[in-house]
Amino acid sequence: MQLDYPFIWEAFKEILTALPLTLMLTFVPLIVGFLIGLGVALARIYRVKGVYHVANGYVSFVRGTPIVMHIMLIYFGLPLLLDSLAKRYDWSFNINGVPITIFVLIALSLSAGAYLSEIIRSGIVAVPSGQIEAGYSVGMTKFQVMTRIILPQALAQSIPNLTNVTVGFLQASSIAFLVSVKEITGTAQIVASSNLKFLEAFIAAGLLYWGVTIVIELIASRIDRRATAYNQGGIG
Amino acid sequence: MGKVFDWHLIFDFIPTLLEYLMITLQVLFYATVIGLVLGLILAVIRLFRVPVLSQLVVVFLSFIRGTPMLIQLFLVFYGLPALLLVFGVDISRMAPAYFVIVTYALRDGAIFSEIFRSAIKGVDYGQTEAAMSVGMSPMQSFFRIVLPQSASIAFPNVANSVISSLKDTSLAFTIGLMDMMGRGEALIAATAHALEVYIAMSIIYYAVVLILEQAAKVFEKRANRHKAPVVVLD
Repeated sequence: MQLDYPFIWEAFKEILTALPLTLMLTFVPLIVGFLIGLGVALARIYRVKGVYHVANGYVSFVRGTPIVMHIMLIYFGLPLLLDSLAKRYDWSFNINGVPITIFVLIALSLSAGAYLSEIIRSGIVAVPSGQIEAGYSVGMTKFQVMTRIILPQALAQSIPNLTNVTVGFLQASSIAFLVSVKEITGTAQIVASSNLKFLEAFIAAGLLYWGVTIVIELIASRIDRRATAYNQGGIG
Repeated sequence: MGKVFDWHLIFDFIPTLLEYLMITLQVLFYATVIGLVLGLILAVIRLFRVPVLSQLVVVFLSFIRGTPMLIQLFLVFYGLPALLLVFGVDISRMAPAYFVIVTYALRDGAIFSEIFRSAIKGVDYGQTEAAMSVGMSPMQSFFRIVLPQSASIAFPNVANSVISSLKDTSLAFTIGLMDMMGRGEALIAATAHALEVYIAMSIIYYAVVLILEQAAKVFEKRANRHKAPVVVLD
């Protein structure tokens, strides 16, 4: 096979400069999505009136459509929406000045929110009700039980699922190249087409993603071991 | 962009796009079938700890998990022709659909193999012992006793993963597949009504996902009807 091995390394170095952007496109949506997901999960568990159906619809729709659709809908839809609002209320605000990355971040955050809400919900539901009763019986308020008893255990148990979502969104960030964001895949595309060495550039990008995934998994398994140490049973 | 949003267009676009849904579903079907066979082979290699091959499978699984769909598509699209050229086979003019099927089959194979492995491990070992005790060979006990039982454990996960593959096919247009998404991109180029096209496609994807989810539920219920809960009369 005719592969230009030195070029893989050259491409790798060039693509590496896009790593911070990819990491931002991964972790910002996960953090924002976590807050959305927590709200949505609580709304669905406590069946908050009005919000409950909206939350259900949101989770179902987002999980039922490809992430590329979310990015495109926000990328094309949000400017239209904001423009018409700006016209109606006379805002002095120019949507064209907003960088594309912001749209991608909004879309991925909304997407992550739906996936994370399911994980948080299943984590919360898995906490034994005896724990909650014990919390109430020592006089804790509903809020205290949630923040001190339920959430810490729910999140500790959800770490494997959270790792999967983190890896999934690292990879989902590659879709941003379709709206010409220069993250890893976008940069690989540029390196590939400007040197006409497609295979080499994508091998380099693949290796970079692979490496980052392995690092994320290593860190996650460390965190998992620490966070679930309380629950390991036997002698510890 | 630049044109006024016209929601009537959404309903005009849906029938046009639906014609191309068939291609998406065909790709999904072939990839799933090949993926099931590949997944079974990979699972067996790991379960029986075949030396060398077993380690290679682990690396392959890690690679599939560690790289995005898009990168895998590009690697197959550019890499497969280069690889086969070494053996004197020229496939550079092959239709994009084949590359898409190869990519998704490899990906599905990796995902399915993990599902099968845990499902096979989920079958009670007493079943194997019982099979051996009536004189079955390890092969017979695996294929006649363990595998059929593991299928019902694996089914919900396989169904979920097929549904998520359906969503993943939306990226296949990047290597030139003329499926629903590819047709959508062409519609956008022709009409400049991007938002309407994407709304129409989202509606279709959402509908197909909901239908597949329901179908999986019904099928699962039917397949497990022999496992109806024991009614205790008191």
